[in-house]
Amino acid sequence: MTEILNPRERFGLLVIDEKPDRCNIIPLITSHAATVAGIKLKEYYTDGEAMAKAQITAIEEYEHDAISIFSEVGIIAEAMGSEFNYPDDDLPVLRIPALTKFDIDKLKIPDPNKDSRLPVYLEAIEYAYSAVGDKIPILAYVPAPFTTGMMLSDPNQFLLDTIRNPEQIKKIIEISLEAAIEFSYEIINAGGLPILVDPLASGSVISPKAYQEFALPGEQGLIKFLHRYDFDVILHICGDTTPILDLLLLTGADLISLDKVELNLAIERLAPKMRIIGNFNTTKLGFGSPDGIASQVREMVKHGIKAEKGYIASTGCEVPIRAPTGNVKVFISAAKEAGWFLD
Amino acid sequence: MKSTWFEVARPQKIDLNDWSQHFRLVRDEQIKEFNYYHNPEWGIYLSPPATFMVYGARELKRLKFDNSLASLRMWGFVFNESERLFRAKQMGKRVIATMGDLGTVPVIIMAFPNCIPFYPECIWWTPFFKESTVLLDTATELGIPEAACFSKATLAAFHKKAYFPKPDLIFASTGASCDDYSCIMQLVNDLGYEMLWLEIPFRRHNDEQYPDRFEEYLISEYERVWNKMVELTVINDKTGLIPSIKKANRLRSLAERIKQLTYEAPITPLPALELMTIEFGNLYGYADLDEWLDIVEMINETVAKRVEKGIGVLKQNAIPIAWITPSADPLLLNLVEDCGLRIVGTEYVINQALVPIEENVEPFRALARSFMKASLIGSTQERIKRIIEGVKNERIKGVLVTNMLGCSHCAMETRLIEKMLSKVPVLSIDVPVPFGITEQLRTRIAAFAETLR
Ligand code: SF4
Repeated sequence: MTEILNPRERFGLLVIDEKPDRCNIIPLITSHAATVAGIKLKEYYTDGEAMAKAQITAIEEYEHDAISIFSEVGIIAEAMGSEFNYPDDDLPVLRIPALTKFDIDKLKIPDPNKDSRLPVYLEAIEYAYSAVGDKIPILAYVPAPFTTGMMLSDPNQFLLDTIRNPEQIKKIIEISLEAAIEFSYEIINAGGLPILVDPLASGSVISPKAYQEFALPGEQGLIKFLHRYDFDVILHICGDTTPILDLLLLTGADLISLDKVELNLAIERLAPKMRIIGNFNTTKLGFGSPDGIASQVREMVKHGIKAEKGYIASTGCEVPIRAPTGNVKVFISAAKEAGWFLD
Repeated sequence: MKSTWFEVARPQKIDLNDWSQHFRLVRDEQIKEFNYYHNPEWGIYLSPPATFMVYGARELKRLKFDNSLASLRMWGFVFNESERLFRAKQMGKRVIATMGDLGTVPVIIMAFPNCIPFYPECIWWTPFFKESTVLLDTATELGIPEAACFSKATLAAFHKKAYFPKPDLIFASTGASCDDYSCIMQLVNDLGYEMLWLEIPFRRHNDEQYPDRFEEYLISEYERVWNKMVELTVINDKTGLIPSIKKANRLRSLAERIKQLTYEAPITPLPALELMTIEFGNLYGYADLDEWLDIVEMINETVAKRVEKGIGVLKQNAIPIAWITPSADPLLLNLVEDCGLRIVGTEYVINQALVPIEENVEPFRALARSFMKASLIGSTQERIKRIIEGVKNERIKGVLVTNMLGCSHCAMETRLIEKMLSKVPVLSIDVPVPFGITEQLRTRIAAFAETLR
C-alpha cells in the first residue's frame, strides 16, 4: 500500500466529502509529543518553538495526519487572570481561579499576542506552519467558552451556579466566547485551523439540560465565527456524550470528535450530518498490549469508515503523556491498514 | 452598516492581516450573497486570504492584494476552484479537462449543458502559492526529466487526484505548441487516462493557402471534439455554441476594458497580480463562467470608479513596463510594483483567449480564427508585435521577460526577444523554484527600475 497523498491533501479531500487514499488518522497527540521529543513538559508548554519542534518530531516518528498545538484547557482562562502552577514535568495546574480574585466585571478579553501563554501557542503555530504547513494541517485547540468559564471559576461553585445563578454563568460564558474568538482570530492569521475542545461540557460533568443551556450557545457562537471563514469546524468533547448526541447536531460543527460513546450509535445518529472522529480508548493505549490494540483499532476503523460523510481514526481523548510510543505506532499502522480505500 | 468600509477605503494594496481585519467588518449577509453554481448551502466563497493560507497556501502570508470588495470576491472564487470542481462532479456535472490549447476548446464544452471545462495545467501556480515542491517532486518521481518546467505539476495532480476530480473526458492539444507540455500530456495518458488528441497547426503567414487550409483543419478538429461531447452527453445541439461564444466574448471584452482602463489611467487602479488573474480567467472562467462574469463585471465597475476619481493603488510616477511570459511566482508581480514599476502591457502566451470571437460566421470557423492568434504557434516577431508598438509610441519604457526553469521555449526565445526589443531596456529573469526569490533577484529588479528612472 503506497500512500499517494500527504496529510494536507488527505484532509483537504475529507472536508470536501471526497475519499482520499486512506482514512485520515489523527490521534490526539498533544503533550505526548514532549515525551516523543524527549523534553520536559514545562518546556513544551512555555516555549512555542519547543512545542512546535516536539510536534514535528512526533509526526516524523508516527506519520499521522495533523499537528496538534495544545497542552491544556486553561490557557485562555490563564490569560484572563486565573493562576496556574507549572510543575516541571507535568501539565499546569489551576491554583487560583480569576473569579475568586476579582469580580466578573473586571474580566478582560486577553490580547493573544501578549497575554500569558497565548503567544506561546501562536509562536508554535507559526513555527510549525512555516516548517511543514504545505504538507501537514496545523490544528490548534481552542478551549470552548464553557470550559474556559469553568477554569475562570472555582469549578464546584461554577457547577452550582448553573442552578443557583445561571445569569452569572451566562455572562462568564459570553466573555469567554469573546476571548475564544479573539484567540481563534490570531490562530488563523498564524496559519492554524482552530478546533474547539469542550472537555468540561462532557456528559460525565454536566447534564444534557445544562449542556443545552450553557455549553451549547458558546460552542455555537465560536463555530459561527469560524464558519464565516468557510472552515470545516472540529468540535471535541471528552467523556460520555451519549445523552447529548442529538444536541451535538445543533452545534453546527462539521466534524465531531467523540470519546466514550458507542461508535456505531454515533454513526447512526450523527454521520448523515457530520464527519465522525474517534474514539479509541486512551487507557488501552497507555496500558494495553500491542496485539490487543491492533485488533481493536482495526475493528474501530472498519466501523468508522462506514460514516457516510467521512471519518477520522482517532483517540477518544488525548494520547496519555507517557503512553508507550510502540503502542501509538501500533494504533497508527493498524488504522492505516484498516482504513485503506484504494483497490 | 459596517461594510461601507469598502466604499470609503482608499484604494491600496494590503496584506493578509489587513484583510483579516477588514473581513471582520463584512456582514454575514454579504458572505452569503455570493455563491458558485448558485448553491447557497456549500457554494459560498467570500473568504479572506487567511482561509486559504490556513489550508496551505503559504505565500498568501507574504503577498499583497487589492483592497476592494470585488478583488476579495475574486480571490475567494479563484482559490476555491479545486473544491468547486469536486462539487461539480458530486452534483452530477461533467468535468472536462482541456489541455494545451488555452482558450478555445472550453467554448465548445460550455455549449453543452452541465459541462464544466477546466485547465489542469493551471495547477502550475499551486507550488508557488503553497511555497511547496510537493507536486514538482512527485512529478519527478513519476518520470519527468529534471529539466522540465513547472507545468509538470499537472502530472502529479493527475496522479494524486486531490486537486481536481477525475475528468469525464480529456482533450489534449498537441502539435505546433509546446513540446514539453506534450510530453507531460503523454505521461498523463500513461497513467491510464484516456484522451482525445487534437493537433494544433503551425501558423505560416507565407503559406499561399493560409489561413483557409488551417481553418478547415481546425474546424475538423473541433468537429471531433463536438462528436466526443455528443457521445458523452447524448446532446447534439449546435445552437448552444452561439450563447457560449457570446458569453466568451462578453468576458473577453470586459477583461480587455479593465486592462485598457488600468494601462491608460494616470494612476494604476488595479494591481498587476489581480490584473493577471483576470486575464487568465478568460481561459475558462475558473470553472463557473457565469459567476466569473459577474465578478469581472464587479471589478470593472470598481476600476472604472477609481479611474473616474483619479485614485489608484500605485504611485503616479510608477514607470510603465511590459511583461513577457507569465510570472509563475505571483510574488514577482508584487515585487516589481514595490520597486516602482507598473505593468501596462503583457504577453502571457494566451493571446488566443483575449481576442473577440467573430459572431457572424459559422461557430467553428470563428473559433478556429480566434485560435490562430495563439502566441506559441507562430514566430517570436509576431508574439511581441504589440509590445514593440508600445515601445514605439513611448507607452512602454522597459520590458521584463520571465524565463521558466526548464522551459525550452523561454530559453530559446528570450535572446531573440532581447534582440528585437533593442530600443528599450529589457530585464530577463529566471523564475526560481517555489519560495526561491532571493535578495539578489530583488536587487536586480530594483536596479532595473533605477535604470529606467
Ligand atoms: S512554461 Fe514553457 S515549457 Fe512549460 S508549458 Fe509553458 S511554454 Fe511549455
